[in-house]
Amino acid sequence: MTDVHTTPDHEVSAGQPKPPAGFLTKLGRTLRSGRVVVAGALVFAGWSAVSYWQTRHDATLSFATARDQVRRAAREEIAALNTIDAQHPDAGLRSWLDASTGRLHDDFQRSNAQNREKVQQSGTRVEGTVTDLAVTDLDDRAGNAGVIATVALKMTSATGGPAGTDRKRFTATLARTSGGWKLKTLTAVPVGAA
Amino acid sequence: MSPRRWWALALALVVLGGVLQGLTWRARSAPASGDRALTDAETTDVVLGQVSDGLTRVFTYTPANTAGTQQAAAEVLDGEALGQYQSLFGQVRQQAPGQGLTLTTRVSRAGVVRLSGDTAQVLVFLDQTIGRKDQPRPSYAAAQLSVTARLEHGQWRIVQIHSR
Repeated sequence: MTDVHTTPDHEVSAGQPKPPAGFLTKLGRTLRSGRVVVAGALVFAGWSAVSYWQTRHDATLSFATARDQVRRAAREEIAALNTIDAQHPDAGLRSWLDASTGRLHDDFQRSNAQNREKVQQSGTRVEGTVTDLAVTDLDDRAGNAGVIATVALKMTSATGGPAGTDRKRFTATLARTSGGWKLKTLTAVPVGAA
Repeated sequence: MSPRRWWALALALVVLGGVLQGLTWRARSAPASGDRALTDAETTDVVLGQVSDGLTRVFTYTPANTAGTQQAAAEVLDGEALGQYQSLFGQVRQQAPGQGLTLTTRVSRAGVVRLSGDTAQVLVFLDQTIGRKDQPRPSYAAAQLSVTARLEHGQWRIVQIHSR
């Protein structure tokens, strides 16, 4: 069996024609051209690396990216702080904690038990949606941002009471944390506020 | 090194370069880079200034100065916003002279939502004071508008208004 397999192979390699006279020069040429191609590829890769590095360190672009992160985070977090369900107070209160940082976060933590009681007593479900939002200032380096937002509230009563809607307007500040941008303050803007 | 290895090396470099080009392109074409809100601080301020000024003018009204408000609307508004303004403000204008109605609007807060090309989206918080001849004390109202503005002949004109 092994013989049958090895013999033809042997025959082929033995029967291969000798390299033609110009083979070595051809080989040399290919080698050189290979080197030329490598040089060209190296230039391309180098140029690509430089333009990528420049893009990564483009201050305007990174500022714009931070702005969009603030926008996205603020939208979700402002909605979260305007949403609570009396049937599931713990889930709502947890998302308040997740959405906030600093003193606001501490306040939520401290008044967690009271808030739960209040929410359960109210028996209502409030769902907040951010209808529009603008980032008004951003300090990319310090990791501080300010936004203004409008919120539509939808209230439903667990006891089958009348549903209601409301509109609110807020200013909020955010800080960059290890977990992304979080709300530091959230303040309703009344009429006549400076 | 054998030519095959040279070619393999070249191919690897081209692939690496291609990947980096792709990443660069992706970062450059991200929606963030097309939006100049805040990144172009000067234009952002101009948009905010002109839109705030425009809204203050078109939503400020005294029975004695109907022409002024009318004139302001023609200057500040365009497109869809003109029609929206007429329906928002038409009633007020009809009742205003008889009731001695005055409306004063002040911009409380404003921010550019998005700024790309010649179009800007602006969110504005307004404080309005409404006075009537027969009422000694004025009433106050809050209004929130999402405004679309377009740059026309060097001037940002309001082309769309949505109440929030």
